[in-house]
Amino acid sequence: MSPDRPRQTDSGILGRSWSRIGLYAFLLGMVVFYLIPIETGLATSIKRAGDFTGRNPYLPPLPWDATLASWSEGFFSLLDGLINSLVLVVPATILSGLLGSMAAYGLTTISWRGQVGIYSLFVAGIFIPYQAVLVPLTVFWYNIVPIQDWWLESVANGISVFGLFEIPSTFMLLGWELGFQPYHWQLISLIITHTAYGIPICALLFRAHYKKLPDEMVEAARLDGASIRRIYRRIILPLSVPMFAVVFIYQFTQIWNDLLFALILVQNNEAAVVTQQLVDLGASQEGVDYPLRMAGAFIAALPTLLVYVVFGDKFAKGVAA
Amino acid sequence: MSDENQYISRRNVLRATGVATAGALAGCGGGGNGNGNGGNGNGNGGNGNGMGNASGEVSILHAWGSGDGANALQALKDGFENEDVNVTDSVVQGAARSNLVSSIQTRMSSGNPPSTWQAWPGKNLLRFTADQYGDLEGDVWDSDLKDNYLEGPKQQAQVDGKYVAVPLNIHRINNLFYNTSVVEEAGVDPSSFSTPSDVLDAMETVASETDATPHAHANAAWTAGQLWETVLLAQAGQSGYNDYINGEGSRSAVESALEAVDTMIDYTFDDASSIGFPEASTRMQNGEAAFMHQGDWAAGGFGEDFVYGEDWDHVPFPGSEGHYALNMDSFPFPAEAPNPEATKVFLKYCGGTEAQIAFNREKGSIPPRSDADVSQLNEFQQDQYDNFTNSDAQPPSIQHGLAVVPPVLSNFGDAFSDFISNRDVGSTTDALMNAFN
Amino acid sequence: MRKILRAVKRRIHRRRLRSDGGTTDQRTKFLNRDSVRSAPFWLPPFLLVFLFVYGAIIWNFVISLTNVSNNLSTIDYSNLDFENYAIAFDGGTPSWARFDVGSYISPIWNAAQNTIVLMVAFAVVCLALGLWLAILVDRDIRFENTFRTIYLLPMSLSFVVTAKFWAFMYNREYGLVNALFEAVGAGSVEIIQNSTLLGVESIALGPIAIGSIGIPVKLAAIVFALIWQYSGYAMVVYLAGLRAIPDSHFEAARVDGASTIRMYWRVIIPQLRTATVSALVVLMVFSLKAFDFIYSLYGSYNPGSAADILATRMVREAYQNSRFAFASAIAIVLFVMALSIVAPYLYTQYRRGDL
Repeated sequence: MSPDRPRQTDSGILGRSWSRIGLYAFLLGMVVFYLIPIETGLATSIKRAGDFTGRNPYLPPLPWDATLASWSEGFFSLLDGLINSLVLVVPATILSGLLGSMAAYGLTTISWRGQVGIYSLFVAGIFIPYQAVLVPLTVFWYNIVPIQDWWLESVANGISVFGLFEIPSTFMLLGWELGFQPYHWQLISLIITHTAYGIPICALLFRAHYKKLPDEMVEAARLDGASIRRIYRRIILPLSVPMFAVVFIYQFTQIWNDLLFALILVQNNEAAVVTQQLVDLGASQEGVDYPLRMAGAFIAALPTLLVYVVFGDKFAKGVAA
Repeated sequence: MSDENQYISRRNVLRATGVATAGALAGCGGGGNGNGNGGNGNGNGGNGNGMGNASGEVSILHAWGSGDGANALQALKDGFENEDVNVTDSVVQGAARSNLVSSIQTRMSSGNPPSTWQAWPGKNLLRFTADQYGDLEGDVWDSDLKDNYLEGPKQQAQVDGKYVAVPLNIHRINNLFYNTSVVEEAGVDPSSFSTPSDVLDAMETVASETDATPHAHANAAWTAGQLWETVLLAQAGQSGYNDYINGEGSRSAVESALEAVDTMIDYTFDDASSIGFPEASTRMQNGEAAFMHQGDWAAGGFGEDFVYGEDWDHVPFPGSEGHYALNMDSFPFPAEAPNPEATKVFLKYCGGTEAQIAFNREKGSIPPRSDADVSQLNEFQQDQYDNFTNSDAQPPSIQHGLAVVPPVLSNFGDAFSDFISNRDVGSTTDALMNAFN
Repeated sequence: MRKILRAVKRRIHRRRLRSDGGTTDQRTKFLNRDSVRSAPFWLPPFLLVFLFVYGAIIWNFVISLTNVSNNLSTIDYSNLDFENYAIAFDGGTPSWARFDVGSYISPIWNAAQNTIVLMVAFAVVCLALGLWLAILVDRDIRFENTFRTIYLLPMSLSFVVTAKFWAFMYNREYGLVNALFEAVGAGSVEIIQNSTLLGVESIALGPIAIGSIGIPVKLAAIVFALIWQYSGYAMVVYLAGLRAIPDSHFEAARVDGASTIRMYWRVIIPQLRTATVSALVVLMVFSLKAFDFIYSLYGSYNPGSAADILATRMVREAYQNSRFAFASAIAIVLFVMALSIVAPYLYTQYRRGDL
C-alpha cells in the first residue's frame, strides 16, 4: 500500500562511509549465504562424476573439465516427471485461480451480509496442515471415487459432458499425440486436490485486489441494470489481469514444488511428478552420483526459478499478502 | 507482460513437450523408469473369467529400478515365451522399498492390485490376511513344484497353510566378502576365522598394516540391522537366533552382538552414512577396503573383471558356518488379480527351472529348486548352492521381514534408525528387547 | 373481516421499491438477494473448499475414532472410541492389533517435542534474521531490488531441491560445511546422522540432575536449512511493515537525539507488531509441514527419533505401518496445534476488520 521508498540514511557512530561499507559488506555476505548452496550445486553439476573429491565443492571446474553430461542424463531421467508435473500444474493453477477470483468476487465486490463469515472459512483453509487430510483423501480417491473406471470408459466410449454432447474417443487419441499418456489419469485426483486447496490463498489475493477497486464503478453498473455475471465478465475480469499474473505465478510455484500430496495420491509409479522422481535420482550402482543429483535438482527447480527471476516482484507480492 | 501469461496456452507447451518426448523415447532409455504404460486394468483382450482362457496382460509391480534386480527381471521376462500373455512391469522407486510396500497396500485395499509384485515372503506376507491372497494350490503349486522346492522356501510361500506365492530365489545374508589383494597385504587369512571377534581382530590388522579401510559398510538402518542379525547368529548360534525371533532373546546375546556391530561400524569409511551399499562395494572392488558384509546380491553386482577366486573371495560369516541365513524374492498372487488365469500361467513359469536359472544368473542368488541345473550359474553361485544343500539350518532373515511379523519388523527398523545416529548400545539393546512388546 | 384479509394479503405480498422505479414481489425476494445471485460465483468454490478442508477434517476425526488398519475399504464406523488418542498420549497396545507381538505403539511425545523445538527455533531465528535484513535493506542502498530478489530466491525452490542441495552441503566428505570446519581446524563432523545434543549435557539443581537441554545436531541442521529457505519471506514481510511506518516517526526519534539502535528498538520495532504476528503465524504453520524436507533429506519415512516430527510420524504410521486410524489421531493433534496458532490470529484480524 505504501510506496516503496527507501529510508534516509543517518550518520552512524563510525561515520558515514565506514558504516556504509560495513552495511554493504554484510549484505554481500548474506548474498553469499543465500546463493552458496545453489552455486555449489551448479558447480558440481557440471563436473565429471568422480571429479568432485577435494575440498572445494563450490569452485566450478576448469572450462576444459566441465561437462554437460549430467544435465542431459538428468533431463532424460526426469523427463517423464517434468511432463507429469506440467500436466498437473497447468490445469490446477488455472482452475484454482479462476475459482479463487470468482469466490473473491462474490464475497467482496458484491456486498451482502454474512459474506465475511463465509470468507473467513476460506481463509482458515490456507493454514491447514496437509497431514490432517491425508487419510480421508486416500480413502476418497482410492476407495470411493472410481476415477480409473471413468477414465477407461472415456477412452473406450468418449466422454459425455453433462449429457449434452459427446467428446468422442478420437479426441482422446488426439491427446496422445500432444504428449498425454494413458497413465495421466492418475493425475486427475491430484489436480482436483490441488485446486481445492489452492482456492483459499487465491481468494485471499483476489479479495485484497478487489477491495482496492473503486465501488462507484460497480454501483454504476448495477444501476445500469447489469447482471452480476455481466459485471464480472466485463468489468472485474479485465481488471483482474495483473492479479491473475500474481496468482498464477504463486500457485505455479506452490503446486510444482509440492511433494506430499503427490507422494500419497500418485504413489511413485510412471505418473510420478518431478519432485517425487528427484528424491531418488542419482543413487545407482556406482554410488551416489552427485553431479547427476545436482543437475537433476536444477532441472526440477528450473521452471520455478525462472518464473521467480523473471517475475520476482509479482512473486513477492503474492508472498507478502 | 501479463497478456503473455494469460495466453501461454497449454496446447503450445504440450506440443513442444510432445516433440521432446518423441525425441527422448527414440533416443535413450533414461533412468530406471520401467517399461509398462499404466500396466493394469482390463485393456483389450482376455479377461479372467476362469474359463481356462489364459491371455491378457500380467503386470508386475516392483522396486528393481536398476542394477542386478532390473537385469534379472528382464532376463525372466525374456525367457517367457507365450503369445497370449503379455507381461509388463512398472517400478515404484524410493524410500528403500517403503514406497513399493505402501503402493501395494493402497492398491490391495482399493481392490485394484497388480497381477503380482515383488515381495519378500515369510512373515512379510502376513501384512495382508489370508483371504486377500488367491490360492495357488494345484494350478501353480502342483506336484512338480512341491516335490522339487526345498523345504524352507516352501514354508515361506504359505500363509495359514495356503500357497500364495512363488519364490524365485534364495539370497544368503551371512556372507563375508573380501578383496584378496588387500587382505594379503595385511597378512590375514579369512579362512582361519571362526568367530566374529576374529573378524574384528583382522579389521584392526588391516587398519594398521594397510592404507585401506577395513570394512566397506554403508551405514544405513537396514545394513546395520542385517549385520547385527548375522553377528547374533554367529555368536549365539541357531538356538540364540531362534530365541530372539520368538521374542525370548537373551539380553546379553543381543548386547554383545550390538557391541561387535558398533566396533565394525567404527572400522568403516568416514562418510559411510552418506553412501549406499553399491558405492561401498565399488570401493572394495577398487581396493580401498578389505572386507564387506552384505547379502549375496552384492556379488551379483560385482564388475566383470572382478574375478571370484582371484580378486575376491568369500567365507560364510565366521561363526555361522553351516547356516544359510536367507532372504527370498517371490511373487505373491492376490485374490483380486486382474487376469488371474494369465497370472497363474506366468507364475507357473516362474516356478520352473529355466525361469529360475535365468533370473538367478543375473541376480547373484541361487534357485530354490533342488533340480535346478546350476552348472549354468557362475562359480560363486555353484559354491553357494552346495553350501545350501548341505546346510544344517536355514534361518530366515529378520531385517527382510521373513522371520518376524510386520509390527515387530517396524520396531526393529526404528531401533536401528536410531542406532546409526546415536550409536548408543544400551538404549538400542533396550529397543531390540522391547521390539516384541 | 375484509380489512383483516387485506392486511394479511398486504403483508404477504409486500412490495419493495427497486432503484430503477419498479417493484419486486416479496416472494422472489430470496432469489434476488445478492448473496444468492452471486452464488454461482462463490458457491462452487466454497463447496469445494468446504468439502476438501472441513469435510476432510471431520472425516479424519471420525476415522481416528475407528479401528481401521491395513485395509481402507473396510472401515467400521459402528464402533467408535477414543482409544487411538489414549495410545497417542500414553502409549499402549491397541485392541485392534492384528498380531500378538510387536503391537505396542509408543506415545507421540518425542515427535511432539521435536515439532515444537523445530517450530520455535525456526520461527524465532527466521524472524530475527528477516528483521535484521529488512532494516538493513531499508537503508537507502543501491541495487536494493537485486538484494531482495536474491534473499527471496530460496523460497521459490521446492523442499526436495533444498534437501538435495543441503544434503550435499552437509556431506561428511564433500560438503562445504565440513570444509569450513576443517579450514578452521575443527575436523569434519557427521551432520545428517548425528543425534548428539548441542547444548547443556546435564542440568543440575543442587544434587538433583534434571536432564539435558539442547537440540540434536540433525535437528539443528534441518532448522538451519529451513531458515535458509524462509528467512527471505520474513524479510519481505518486515520490509513492507517498515515501509508502512511514516517517515515522521523516524525523524521525530532522531530529532529527539536517539541513537540509531535506540531508535529502532524503542520506536520502530514495536510498530512492527502486526507484521511480526502475521509472519510468525505463517512461519509456524510452514514448519508444521516440514515433512517434505525431512523425507527428501533422509529418503525414507523415518529420519530417526532425534529428527522425528509429528508430520513424519503421522505419514509413517499411515503409509508404512498401515495404522490408518492411529495416524488420523496424530493428524488431528497436528491440526489442533495449527488451529491454536491460527484461530486467535484470524479472530483478531476479523475483529479489527482486517480480514
